[in-house]
Order: sequence, then structure tokens, then C-alpha cells
Amino acid sequence: MLIDTGAGRGSPPPLPASRSSARRWFPELSDNTVGLLFIAPFIVTGLFFMVYPVIEAVRMAFFSYNPLRPEVTRYVGLANFQFILSDPLFWDAFLQGTVWTLLSILFQTLLGVSIALLLNRTLPGIAVFRGLLLFPYIVPTVVIALIWRWIFNPEIGVVNYALIATGLVDTPIYWLSTPDMAMASTILLNVWKYTPFVVICVLARLQSVPQELYDAARVDGAGAFRRFLDVTLPQLREVLIVVVVFRTIWTFNKFEEIYLLTKGGPGTSTFNLAVYSFEQSIASLKLGVGAATGVVMMVMLLIGSIVYLRVSGFGREEAGA
Amino acid sequence: MNPDRAHRMLGLAATYLVLLATTFLVCFPLIWALSTSLKGKAEIFATPPTLIPHEPTIDNYKALITGRPQYFQSGSERVATGSAPAEFFGRWFLNSIIVTVGSTLISIAVSTLAAYSITRFRYFGRRIVPYLSILGYMVPSIIFVFPLFLVMVRLELTDNLLSLILGYVSLTLPFCMWLMWAFMRSIPIEIEEAALIDGATRLQVFRDVVIPTALPGIIAAAIFSIIVSWNDYLFGRVFLNSLDNLTLTVGVMLFFEGTHVDWGLLMAACVLMTVPMAVLFMALQRHLVTGFGAGAVKG
Repeated sequence: MLIDTGAGRGSPPPLPASRSSARRWFPELSDNTVGLLFIAPFIVTGLFFMVYPVIEAVRMAFFSYNPLRPEVTRYVGLANFQFILSDPLFWDAFLQGTVWTLLSILFQTLLGVSIALLLNRTLPGIAVFRGLLLFPYIVPTVVIALIWRWIFNPEIGVVNYALIATGLVDTPIYWLSTPDMAMASTILLNVWKYTPFVVICVLARLQSVPQELYDAARVDGAGAFRRFLDVTLPQLREVLIVVVVFRTIWTFNKFEEIYLLTKGGPGTSTFNLAVYSFEQSIASLKLGVGAATGVVMMVMLLIGSIVYLRVSGFGREEAGA
Repeated sequence: MNPDRAHRMLGLAATYLVLLATTFLVCFPLIWALSTSLKGKAEIFATPPTLIPHEPTIDNYKALITGRPQYFQSGSERVATGSAPAEFFGRWFLNSIIVTVGSTLISIAVSTLAAYSITRFRYFGRRIVPYLSILGYMVPSIIFVFPLFLVMVRLELTDNLLSLILGYVSLTLPFCMWLMWAFMRSIPIEIEEAALIDGATRLQVFRDVVIPTALPGIIAAAIFSIIVSWNDYLFGRVFLNSLDNLTLTVGVMLFFEGTHVDWGLLMAACVLMTVPMAVLFMALQRHLVTGFGAGAVKG
């Protein structure tokens, strides 16, 4: 009977009649063969597209490699690492990337939780608001960067126009051409694009908080704010840790959000490690130096991932099974 | 109206007001881009700027779709803008579709089969697959891009769309694998066992029972993969170089490299690039949330 429901969607004729013809198409393979046959494409693609590039990226970090003159590639030991660690720009990029990450995550989390709380109600039309507020997450970064350059244009942008028209500022703000404002603009872009991610995660969790907890708190005379502190927040703790760790790892290594908006500029004031690595590889043609930066990024990512696996309890139930 | 009810109504009105304000702020950049794209050259620079164009025009869209070369007026002369020609826009759009569909098909096929295998059969090493996938998912594209580029050089695939299809598998496969694993293990095995006892073969069970049940997971993984491939800039920038072969993201950034930036044209390009994602999003929003539920908030 259960097969009939499944077959009804794919092949119209009822199963008993088609069984013999299906047998011809599907040779009766042993379970082991099926298991191996199904995992084989993943092993090939996984080795080629996930494992190999990472190993190669690590290997490249120990070589001097100019893509235009591959014949002079040679092993240089730790020279690439010595180069980046003594390069002031590397440390600038590291610090700027850290500031960028921390501020982005702070605002994403605060805004994300607020919006999720706002959306976690049963009101007519709430689905429309939910859809619209999650929308930025799927907008291509290129599109956001171009729109940002347009609305934050110092002379003809609508943001400066609005700020001056309402009297909030007297002179136009040079959003993308002064270091601090360029940093603020990239943070704003990042917050705009990725707050929906936090909203989705928090909203999903909020909807599984048992209503009885709130009822009990209400009976005890807790006000809305107390209920948030004593019921909602503890329930959100776990998902928030996961989201923050996850977003921190990703934001720290983001490339396009910065490069497409400011190219790391003005000067080098919005470089992070990803932009530094890209510039070393493409502009200076030092693929080895770029790769060494990548290795530093991966080490930090690995630490972050271990933290993530710990706090999320990933795989714990697997071990028990 | 009793005071309690009035109080509630007031609260409701305030809630909607906050919701409307937040939504407007969040959507404003997109609304503004749409508005700019529908304005003529003069109105774009008008002060005060107009949110709803007084004389809406679809000239910018026509220019992109028909590939009309762009000029700007300098005195009585028409001067070429020097930016990348708009006539390639249609081609870039097609390229983006090819690359997105290609890489998504590969990632989905590979991850669905593998997820079934590791959740239904017991063999050495199967437990490491999800761990490997989550790690691969966290590795940023900047680390993958140059090693893969060197591979493509050796395979003589650079400046070829195939290189991007393969390259995007690196970005999409780990997450698809993880999501499909999470989804497959949540499907009760009893249904399949019943079918097997009824005399169906493994492959029949896979086709007629497992695939239909796993469809929401497959759709969620596909949406994710489509978004990632469609939105990528870095891989396209490094792998491709001739104007014919570019994808939308890389090509549209070239509109910026002239002496004169045509904002109307640029915003029209932005809108057209976002439309496919918007349609997909609206049609499959429910599944997108499923994906996050299975993937990002697990545990």
C-alpha cells in the first residue's frame, strides 16, 4: 500500500502490473552493491572538489608560485608565513576584519532577535511581512553592492539627500571614500544581507517554545519583559550560540561583501584577510603568499568549527545510536 | 468600546506600524533600485529625488534586453560610455542559468545518492561524511578558488562555462550533502522495509518511496545551491575572461568600469538579476525555511 502512494506520483500504472518490466530496468543488485554504487560519486567529487583543493591550498603556502611563470615554482619552506607575519598590512587586515566581524555579528544578532520576536505572532498578513523581511538574504551580493554605491553616493545618493533635507547633517557624508565611513558602509551591507539568516534560525526556535511555559509565567504574574527574560531568552540560548559561532566564522572570511563595495579601500582601510589573500594572489601574483593567508584563515576556522561542534552537540546522538 | 479592547486595538496598531516601518526600511534599497531603473536620464538626477517616477520608462530594460549600445550626451555629441557593452547582457543571463542549473544538478544527484547510502547501509567511514561536509561548508570560497583555478588550467577549461559548473560543486556540495544527510536519516526506515518485504528491489524502493519522501529536502538543497551559484562573483571573476563567457555577476560589475556610470541601466540590470531569485523565493519559501531547520539550526 505504501508503495502505491509512492508509485502513484512517479509512474501511473499500479505496481503489481509493472513489476516485471521494472525488474528488467532495475537489475536486482545486492544491498552492498547499491550502497557502494550510491556513495561512489560522492567519494569521487568529494575528493576532487572538497579535499583536494584544501590540501593543495595548504601545499601552495610552502611554495613560491607565480601563475604567469609556473616553471619557476620552488619550495620556500616557511618564507610565505614569515612574509605575511612581518607584513603590517596583514595585521591591519586582521584587525579590520575582526572589527568588521564583531560589529556585524553584534548588530545582526540584536536586530535578528528583535525582528524574529516581532514576526513570531499570529496576525493577519504576518506571512507577507515574514517573506519581505527574509528577502535580502537571497539578493546577490553584486546587486547589493551596486545598490549601496548608488544610494550612498556622496553627491547624488538618496541617503545623503535625506540626511541633509531633514537637517541631520550639513555637509554630504563621503560614505565610501573615508576610512571610517567605508567600514561603516560595509558593516551596514553585511548586517542588511545576513540579519535574515538570524531571523530564520531564531524564528524557527521560537515557534517550538511550548506555550505552557508562557502560560505558567503569566499565572505567576510575570509581565511581557519578564517573560522574555525568564522564558524566551533561556530557550533561545542554544540556537543563539550556534548562530553566533556560525556567522562569526563566515563573516570573518567573507570576500565579496567587502571587495565589491570598496575593493578594500579607500587605501587599505577595509581590507580583511580574504581581500588581502585575493590581492596578494591576483595583484601581486604571489599565490603562495595568498595561500599562506588562507592557511591562517583555515586554522582560525578550524578552531571556530570545533567550538561549533562542541556547543551544538553535533554527532552526539550518532555516537549513542 | 470598553477600555480593555481599545487598549488591545492600540497595541495591534502599534505592532503593525512597527512591522510596516521595519519592512519599508529593509526593502528600501530594493524599492529605490526599482524606482531608479524606471526613470529617464534626467529624472535620475532630479532634486528632490522622486520615489515614484513621474515619467516611468522602460528604456533601461529595453537597452539591456535588445542590447542597444549606450551613449551619453556631451553638448551636441553622443559619446560612447566606454563601459562594458550592454549587448552582452542576454548572453550573460543565459550563461548564469547554464552554470547554476549544471552545478545544482550535479550537487543534488551526488548528495541524494550518498545520503541514502550512508543512512541505510553500514560500512567503515560512513560516519565521517557529515563531519567532512560541515567542515567543507565552512571553508570560504577564497581558499577553494586558486587551487581549483590551477586544476582548470591543467584541464584547459579556463574561460569555459564547464569550469564554473565544476567549481561551484565545491561550494554547494558540502551543504547539500549535509542537508540531505539530515533529511534522509529523519525518514523512517520502516516504510522501505515494508516495501522490500513486498518484493520491491532496492532501486525500486529508492525511486518510488525514498525520492518522493525526500522531495522537500531535495528542494531545499536545490534552492540553496541555486542561490549560491547564481550569486557568486569570485569564481566567475577568476575562471572567466572573455566578454562572451561571463556570468551576470562578473559582467554587470564591468558596467562600472567606464568613464560614465549609467545608474539607470545598472539598476535595471540589478532588478533583472534579482527577479529569478525572487520568483524562486516566493514559490518555495516554505522549503527554504525547511532547509534552515534541517541544516543551520540543527542541535
